[in-house]
Amino acid sequence: MSPVDKLKFEKRDDISPLGRTAAIVVALIAAMLVSAILIKLANASPLEAFINLFKGAFGNKRAILETLTKSTPLILTGLATVIAFRGKIWSIGQEGQFFLGAIGGYWAYRIFEGLPAAALVPIVILGAFLVGAFGGMLAGLLKAYFNVDVIISTVMGNYIIDYFLSFMLSGSGPWREPGSYYQQTAEITENAYYPLLFANARIHMGFLIAIACSMIVYLILNHTPFGYQLRAFGSNPRAAKFKGINTNKIIILTMFISGGLAGLAGTGELFGVQYRLRPDLSPGYGYTGIIVAMLAGLNPIGVIPAAILFGALINGSAQMRIATGVPTALTFAIQAIVLLSLLSAQVLTRFRVRRVDHA
Amino acid sequence: MLDSLLQATIIVNILASTVRIATPLLLGAMGELVTERSGVMNLGIEGTMLMSSFIAFLVAFETNSIILAVGAGMLTGALMSLIMAFMASTMKVDQTVTGLSLNLLASGISLFWYRVAFKGTSTESIPTIQTMGSVKIPILGDIPYLGEIFFNQGLLTYLAFIMVPVIAFFLYRTYTGLAIRSLGENPRAVDMKGINVTRLQYLSVIFGGVMSGLAGAFITIGTTVRFLPEISAGRGWLALVIVIAGNWRAGRILLAALLFAFMDAFQLQLQGIGIQIPFQILLAAPYVLAIVVLMGSRARSLAPRNLGIPYIREEG
Repeated sequence: MSPVDKLKFEKRDDISPLGRTAAIVVALIAAMLVSAILIKLANASPLEAFINLFKGAFGNKRAILETLTKSTPLILTGLATVIAFRGKIWSIGQEGQFFLGAIGGYWAYRIFEGLPAAALVPIVILGAFLVGAFGGMLAGLLKAYFNVDVIISTVMGNYIIDYFLSFMLSGSGPWREPGSYYQQTAEITENAYYPLLFANARIHMGFLIAIACSMIVYLILNHTPFGYQLRAFGSNPRAAKFKGINTNKIIILTMFISGGLAGLAGTGELFGVQYRLRPDLSPGYGYTGIIVAMLAGLNPIGVIPAAILFGALINGSAQMRIATGVPTALTFAIQAIVLLSLLSAQVLTRFRVRRVDHA
Repeated sequence: MLDSLLQATIIVNILASTVRIATPLLLGAMGELVTERSGVMNLGIEGTMLMSSFIAFLVAFETNSIILAVGAGMLTGALMSLIMAFMASTMKVDQTVTGLSLNLLASGISLFWYRVAFKGTSTESIPTIQTMGSVKIPILGDIPYLGEIFFNQGLLTYLAFIMVPVIAFFLYRTYTGLAIRSLGENPRAVDMKGINVTRLQYLSVIFGGVMSGLAGAFITIGTTVRFLPEISAGRGWLALVIVIAGNWRAGRILLAALLFAFMDAFQLQLQGIGIQIPFQILLAAPYVLAIVVLMGSRARSLAPRNLGIPYIREEG
């Protein structure tokens, strides 16, 4: 009998905070090591690349504020993931709902363009939330009434929304900036801008909205009957049903909120940072949100530091590319490696390894 | 006279494209069928296809050898699915999240590697490769219409269609096939028979990965001279949809794959004749169809009962 047979994996129900922290640290170190190899493959010095990455992200006040700007959509897409994944509803529609939010916000903006900022901005935000939420809710309805897996309907939705936006911005589409060579809308007018928080920095009101949302999601999950039911559904859908929980309602409502949160991320980028709707409004913020949520252990407050970490990665990668020539696409690779290492490292905390003497 | 000839050419054209477009869908779906029958849900096949299509492109570009490129694609598929098998079968990690992370990994690494490998290429000097070309089968290829549709295709296309009965025979008529199917239903029973559950799951997942690798290789070297980021464009996800729509049966998977491919071929033809529908709407059609098909396949009577649930042996 091989030595492996004498080890026994025991499943633990509780994950100690210490174990979770250890898993995160191990995952980040592993991700750094693999990234160093990738940077080496790009013929650059890993140390120099990491130093520039860090400087670009936290080097001065301006860099830090820009990192927070980049983390703003990630907090929201992260929260969108947290609420769905807590119920083991595997939605990966955050990317599409991000764009739905931008579309909804822009749509509302076009209707109410002339209003003063104090009225226009809240309307834009509401429009974004509702359209994003509608997209999420569709996936929820498909699951509840047609048993279509959320994961597949949301992926298909991402592609459909992508093509829809591409049509709206195409030469024959209604939203294309007249005479523009690019796929983009005209710039929005200043009365629709999200207010900036500091002079000389791009960080905007959306950051405060994101922080407020993480508090709200925390309260929903931990202090409402819906939150309790969602968590019960997540840990055992069958048992939840027997307890008399309306599981269809849980799925639909959860996806509604999740889609709305992702929608807020999209509209924040449009009205707070870019000021036009373009197909490249998101460099994958929806997908990064999934990793943010996993790194945060599906904790809505933990999403904030996790989002800042990945916001720093995205922000710092620009200076890394300028200084060392390493493509910024490295950040996507790093994100995925963090997730994979985290999954493996978590196993060590989920299971207690024990020697079996009497085998 | 000329009008009807034109009609016939167009129909033959659409059907021949259908067979060609079905190739990666069929390869991916038949591979995933074996994987899922063993109880593992590999949601990472989109990423597996993407990574394989990139590596196959890279090898074709560097060596000019189609055979090496196809081999590299298969090997990449095997390695990607090895990660899946390790996480699912050995580590017992949640298979959904693992599959997702494989997709993100492929997106990130392929884009990064492409940028590193082809640094400083401008839009005028996009790197290109030789594609595989088609092989006309003697005699059969000369049958009017049918020859053009079925027997004047690439080698990987023939392979994809041959694999349907081969895999069906393997799953339903061989001892190993029976063991794999039992794994998806009742792994404990397989374990008690003295069959190595972990090993069999690894083999099934890796087989699925190699098939996705072939699909990925076909996407680049079988069809196009250049690589684009995210070139797999949801074909891996469609393969997953096809497995569900096909209710985990080989024959119905073939039908479902042909349906999706026909849809795509049809919209390509519509684009070609310049119909007054925005092409973005046409491009979105397969994904809309996917949702509609899934709405109609509510009964998943033949889904493996233990799909996606890690098997943890109980010990005394």
